[in-house]
Amino acid sequence: MNESQHLSSQFDEELSRLRTHVLQMGGLVETQVSAAIEAYSTGEVASVKTIVETDRKVNDLEKAIDDDCAHIIAKRQPTASDLRLILGISKIVTDLERAGDEAKKIAKGVRRIYENGHLPGQYGVGIRHLAEAALVMIRRALDAFARLDTPQAADVIKADTDVDAEFKSIIRQLITHMMEDPRTITTSIDIIWIARAIERIGDHAKNISEQVVYVVEGRDIRHTKEKAQ
Amino acid sequence: MSSQIIRALLLALLSAVIALPVGYFVAHWAGWTVVCIGLGLQMVFHFRNFARLDRWSHRPVVDASLEGEGAWDGIFGRLYRHEKDLREQIAQRDQEIGMLIAAGQALTDGVVLLDAHNQILFCNTMAESQLGLVIRTDRGQPVVNLVRQPEFVAYLEGSDYSRPLTMRSERRDDRVFSVHVIPYAGDRRLMQVKDVTQTDRLDQMRRDFVANVSHELRTPLTVLAGFLETLQEIEVDRDEQQRYLQMMADQSKRMQSIVQDLLTLSSIESAPPPDNEPVDMVNLLDKLRRDAEALSAGRHTIVVESDGHADLRGSEPELVSAFGNLVANAVRYTPAGGTVTLSWKATTQGAEFAVQDTGIGIDAKHIPRLTERFYRVDRGRSRDVGGTGLGLAIVKHSLNRHQAQLDIKSTPGVGSRFAAKFPANRVAGLH
Repeated sequence: MNESQHLSSQFDEELSRLRTHVLQMGGLVETQVSAAIEAYSTGEVASVKTIVETDRKVNDLEKAIDDDCAHIIAKRQPTASDLRLILGISKIVTDLERAGDEAKKIAKGVRRIYENGHLPGQYGVGIRHLAEAALVMIRRALDAFARLDTPQAADVIKADTDVDAEFKSIIRQLITHMMEDPRTITTSIDIIWIARAIERIGDHAKNISEQVVYVVEGRDIRHTKEKAQ
Repeated sequence: MSSQIIRALLLALLSAVIALPVGYFVAHWAGWTVVCIGLGLQMVFHFRNFARLDRWSHRPVVDASLEGEGAWDGIFGRLYRHEKDLREQIAQRDQEIGMLIAAGQALTDGVVLLDAHNQILFCNTMAESQLGLVIRTDRGQPVVNLVRQPEFVAYLEGSDYSRPLTMRSERRDDRVFSVHVIPYAGDRRLMQVKDVTQTDRLDQMRRDFVANVSHELRTPLTVLAGFLETLQEIEVDRDEQQRYLQMMADQSKRMQSIVQDLLTLSSIESAPPPDNEPVDMVNLLDKLRRDAEALSAGRHTIVVESDGHADLRGSEPELVSAFGNLVANAVRYTPAGGTVTLSWKATTQGAEFAVQDTGIGIDAKHIPRLTERFYRVDRGRSRDVGGTGLGLAIVKHSLNRHQAQLDIKSTPGVGSRFAAKFPANRVAGLH
């Protein structure tokens, strides 16, 4: 009795440490995304280097967490909610790593625009708004994971529709500009890449939230019309 | 206690004494029966009290129901008093703890208490709003799960807590917090979160100011030095020389006006409160209109709207310079063909001098910073139109000295409205 209790509390500790690692990786990705947006609005391309360096840390964490997951499955043979937590985590880290990659893409796009001597100028407001919405989604998805809070996760999933709609309207606006003045095409294409990367970050936040629902309730709501409650 | 034993023995003896004649005169068994009944009655009595104690001990409540009989009464009384004292002590402790928590809530800094594993034990409402925590659900959660900024995680996991960490909040826009972790009671930690946004902003402004002054003075100085070098080393014809000298004169004039504005600012700051003499507004408006027309050189329509029956109390030179700055800005930033409207209105509640233009307008995010020294919405453009970057700072200071507020409203592409609102005691001669 005592022995197994001891083992299970050690197991709980391992799971809790794993979760904290995932959330720390999330923290890194959050800073990457907000630094990329900041670079876009201020044009300070110096931070691009930091963002790229952070990405290396994110990649290392992804590998380490995946290792830990495999290790726990092999050693503890978890069942039910513990197993779901580990499966969920291994998917969440993939999404986080990709969101970090998208942040890196934004940063590089910003550097291209500013180094060519262009200003994102009039698209600034729309992109900034879109990026802030995506950043809030990532933050709330991670909060939902920390608190295992499914209503919050459901909110994030709903918010993705708004981000998608906003992305489409920015693209339409850019197309009009490119048709009016072909000289803006180079910059516009870079901005399209940035907008696309931001929209992808929103998608990854949505995926993370879906995993939170899976971890808590055991329902797989990916690719279904089923709503998270 | 011993008296209780004696009493029990006496009762046993009493039943034996009654039993003895019965056994002798009636029958042996009848005598034994009497002894048994006597002892049995005693047992029933004790057992009843025992059952009462048993019932009570399952759910000890402090009311009058715990009363024993005979020997039991003393025991019950002591138990009852003990229980009551305990309860009072607990209630008092609860109250003390409640007071401590209330004191924690009353702090204007955020406070988070952490255990040895950095899990949240307590946080006050200020910390909840600063860090986005919800104590109801987050108790026991490692704090780094929710406050995820890498610099914070590194600070908490490091061991050097001698200095606080300054970090930008991710959850609350543009707030800057100073977080200090203080170890206490062995391995527990107290996190103190201070909002230092204001100090941080002031620091930033001071750094910006020094950098800006140097930059603003260095630019014309570079031009001057460049031309001087050219003139010293290269033979140029007379026309060219004249052109260079003209440019040098322009640049030195520019430096002069920057220094002049800086001196004006510092003299306004250190000067005694302004006079209370009435300033003739009809005259002042007329002068402003003439200056505006001179600066505009016929490119704009200048309109003056005045209800013309009240004057301002204050220092005339300061008001002229403040209003003049607003009018000059309006003319400078309004494209040719636009309209600049000066208006003057006074009521018993106060007075307002406003300059409305149909110019390029200002984006909302710049408006709060417009009156900072050398703050420029667009660096190149404002220098082209000849601003020093200090005009609105001077305006704001002069107006502050007259207890007036500068109210700025602007829509990009449509125009701006700068209004100076004076309190009623600054209005003179209102009929």
